Amino acid sequence: MTHAPGWLAAVSLAAGLAAGFGYAPREAVQGNVQRIMYLHVPSVLTAYLAFGLVLLGSIGYLATRRPGWDRLAGAAGEIGVLFTGLTIVSGSIWGRPTWGTWWTWDARLTSTAMLFLIYVGYLLLRSVIDDPDARGRYAAVVGILGAVNIPIVHFSVKWWRALHQPSTILGPGPAPIDPAIEVVLFLNWVAFTLLFAYFLARRIEIARLEET
Amino acid sequence: MPANWSYVIAAYGVAAVALFGYWRYLARRIRALTARQHDAAPHRTAS
Repeated sequence: MTHAPGWLAAVSLAAGLAAGFGYAPREAVQGNVQRIMYLHVPSVLTAYLAFGLVLLGSIGYLATRRPGWDRLAGAAGEIGVLFTGLTIVSGSIWGRPTWGTWWTWDARLTSTAMLFLIYVGYLLLRSVIDDPDARGRYAAVVGILGAVNIPIVHFSVKWWRALHQPSTILGPGPAPIDPAIEVVLFLNWVAFTLLFAYFLARRIEIARLEET
Repeated sequence: MPANWSYVIAAYGVAAVALFGYWRYLARRIRALTARQHDAAPHRTAS
């Protein structure tokens, strides 16, 4: 039964991919390159979820000193870095044909790059401390401080003048997009969340095996 | 707006390599750790 969640994630990813290329309409202004959104937006939402769990695990560890909380935080941090990296790369590839540049020091892009670097630092810190309790405590502090950057990333497009478009689906009011696009985006978000859950369970299992 | 399929393929290609690579990394690491634990466990001997 350990492989069932993995297969569920794989099947839902395949369904999301098929919907993104077969069901979702061609966007009127950007054309087919807009289909990168079905990868880019679920990636960043998954990264938010991962770093939210780092925050939860960090607070849980500092409050209880139970190793399970630290395993959760460490595992979620690693997967969050993976999905933040995907967000940055897919956004850069999307930006080239739509903005005419791979990268710009826009508020959203810069704050996302900072988020990525903070959690890379978090993982490096975890890797250099041998004592489990000291590692858990120091990492928890960084995990809590790092989470401050999540709302900065999300609201950066409102707080500063940015090239990046404002939030489409997590903004106030109904999403200003075609319902078919919204459904496909939701399907891909569910698929990414299932994949994240599978990765998280496996990564926590690895941490547990490493400690025994 | 041109089709820009090359950008779409590049984005999905990078994602596929990264996600599948991480999936494989997790599976291999669990197999290695489970095997190590199995080897380290004391073997029963007939007495």
